[in-house]
Amino acid sequence: MAGSKTEATVKARADLALNDEFLRKAVRFTTERLRNGKKKATDEHGNWEEWRERGKQIRLHTIAHLDYYLNLFVNNARANGVHVHFANNAEEAVGLTLDIAEHANAKSVVKSKSMVSEELHLNHALESINVEAVETDLGEYIIQLAGEMPSHIVIPAIHKNRYQIADLLSKEAGYTLPPDTTALAGFVRKKLREKFLEAEIGMTGCNFAIAETGSMVLFENEGNARMVSTVPKTQITLMGMERIIPSWSDLEVMATLLPRSATGQKLTMYMSGITGPRRDKDADGPDEMHIIIIDNGRSLQLGDPEFQELLNCIRCGACLNACPVYRHIGGHAYGSTYSGPIGAVLTPSLNKNIAEWDDIANASSLCGACYEACPVKIPLHDMLVYLRRRKVESGNGSKIEAIGMQGFATVMGNSSRLGGVLRLGKLGQKLVVRSGVIKTKLGPLKGWNTYRVTPSLPKESFRDRWDTLDQELKQGLKQMEPSMQNRMEELVRKREQDEKQGKGGHGHG
Amino acid sequence: MADTHKQWLEKLEANSRTKQEQFMNDIAAKLRHPRMYEKPQHPFRGAPDFWNTFEWTEEERIKGFTENFLSVGGHVARLQTMEDAKAYIVNKAEEMSAKYVVRQNEPELAALDLEGSLAESQVSVWNTDADQYWRARAAEADFGIVMADHAVAYTGSVTVLSSPEKGRSVSLLPTVLIIIIPLERLKTRLGEVLVTFDEAGREKLPAGIHFISGPSRSSDIENDLTIGVHGPGIVYALLVG
Ligand code: SF4
Repeated sequence: MAGSKTEATVKARADLALNDEFLRKAVRFTTERLRNGKKKATDEHGNWEEWRERGKQIRLHTIAHLDYYLNLFVNNARANGVHVHFANNAEEAVGLTLDIAEHANAKSVVKSKSMVSEELHLNHALESINVEAVETDLGEYIIQLAGEMPSHIVIPAIHKNRYQIADLLSKEAGYTLPPDTTALAGFVRKKLREKFLEAEIGMTGCNFAIAETGSMVLFENEGNARMVSTVPKTQITLMGMERIIPSWSDLEVMATLLPRSATGQKLTMYMSGITGPRRDKDADGPDEMHIIIIDNGRSLQLGDPEFQELLNCIRCGACLNACPVYRHIGGHAYGSTYSGPIGAVLTPSLNKNIAEWDDIANASSLCGACYEACPVKIPLHDMLVYLRRRKVESGNGSKIEAIGMQGFATVMGNSSRLGGVLRLGKLGQKLVVRSGVIKTKLGPLKGWNTYRVTPSLPKESFRDRWDTLDQELKQGLKQMEPSMQNRMEELVRKREQDEKQGKGGHGHG
Repeated sequence: MADTHKQWLEKLEANSRTKQEQFMNDIAAKLRHPRMYEKPQHPFRGAPDFWNTFEWTEEERIKGFTENFLSVGGHVARLQTMEDAKAYIVNKAEEMSAKYVVRQNEPELAALDLEGSLAESQVSVWNTDADQYWRARAAEADFGIVMADHAVAYTGSVTVLSSPEKGRSVSLLPTVLIIIIPLERLKTRLGEVLVTFDEAGREKLPAGIHFISGPSRSSDIENDLTIGVHGPGIVYALLVG
């Protein structure tokens, strides 16, 4: 069966993923913690709906006038002494990066994790011209040492315990390190410090770019993004073209929404606004600063009434933590950079390929938890429905999916069966493994929000929680919230009616 | 490669300017409007109105800042005068046997005469010798000492701005960070600080604006909170006034 190699591989991975209790527990542990953290942080802050609405309005406004604001940003950044570049696609962005690396005679690049760099598969490209790419986020560094795929879960190194990490790091150190978190982190601190001081180039992403002053803003907890943007001589910032906000005043709204939604923090430990390379008389900061502005499919969403709002996304990961499907089986990367509900929409839409439709969309499209979690109110659940419709319209809906959708509708339509059948996780899992092949693009949450997992919750240790989680997993997941259940039923009813009346899609030009 | 670095950069810039036009035109076309050159009305700029009038009293600001900073593992001391701050720093340096201390080159810090008072430590003053590799000096320092340019009570954050006299590394590379916050610089909301950057405008902004809300942290090993993985693991905020 020559043709089925890929499928076999995917299936093998799927089996692996679903049998891996440890990974599952870890993901549930963290997503739950983050979700509760968010709830606590938003309740405490108060008026959350008003803040969400404001965040949405600012993002809508900026994207609706993106040609103006992006242009303003570029001109201001140039005036600050930044070398600004444009890349229509990943190849161009990689090409520019390599060109800069060659002209900087770089032997190594220190990186702070960013989604855009993942999107471009940069490490590989850099290695092809003999430039060492060093990941400097703690977990990311451990994974890189282990020679494993960049993280497939929430906390990239969660599948390694202290003892394994101690072994890995001891090898690197040349002497034996104790399996003690503080000692291990201490070693990494020292080791990476050398790397920061050695590297010719530092590379970061960009959370927000301020149009009126040409500044770029980074949120993080470890301090490595600050290192990377302060110590090396040359700095490269990779920036999605939609990262713009008009002013520093607008940043207050984003800084209110982003950390609270991502990790439940009031603010990440560091928020940095960088305006150009170091000034002549400054004794630190990069001599040369490059910003590469990347389209790579983003502009396809502009002017598309159903999907334009995707560009409002501030990459907080709250929709992932809210997603029952992701919580249950999540954390296993199957080749896609963007995961969870936003990934389900963004990935096919970025790739211009509606055929890349996957099961998570089926499950998420009816639930709406992602929309409620989203700090800028992106109607992800609607988009999932649009996406599916487009796929069916373009003839890419597979028979299995059609059946699956019917089955789903049957379950959903019969409310008396809901109570028994709809234990969320089970439903999610069923949908995802249906047909025996996992096609989901559940990528890493890690890296999704670069400042990542730093729960600021009442201390309940990992190990304390472990047993309870185990129990919970065995018992299946909690009953669906009644409001969610109602919404799902309502949607199914509406859809059935529409279908009966022969209403297909509505106006997507 | 015959081209000099400068020529190469010029070539890149020329490419970039051409591409900029295409990029923006393409965006405008997709948005189905003519290229916009005029600043659009932005009715939703900044935080909601109800928030902009929110203000804590000084006591509330001190309390709020302290609670927030403590909750993430930072330390706070409430002091009356700069003399007290000096005594506090000297005491800490002795207690922890700090060998290398680096401080910003600011008049308030110079007035403390730490150089004369810390007999056991080598105190360097940022960027006072052009031949030093200052990043390395900061990287080996046990203590970094800085003045806060602003502070925000509601989020428990301190803002430091870069300049020739104020290195970004001094608040980042040392193991222990001590930040002196004159009380009058402690505001309630983040927006009160952010708006000053809008008011200053592009040309007056420093290269680095950093908000620091506690010690560097990570939970990448077994989901255990680890402090000080890259930035300072011990941070003292001294509220003075
Ligand atoms: S779509 Fe998801 S990641 Fe993006 S802003 Fe909304 S909740 Fe956050």
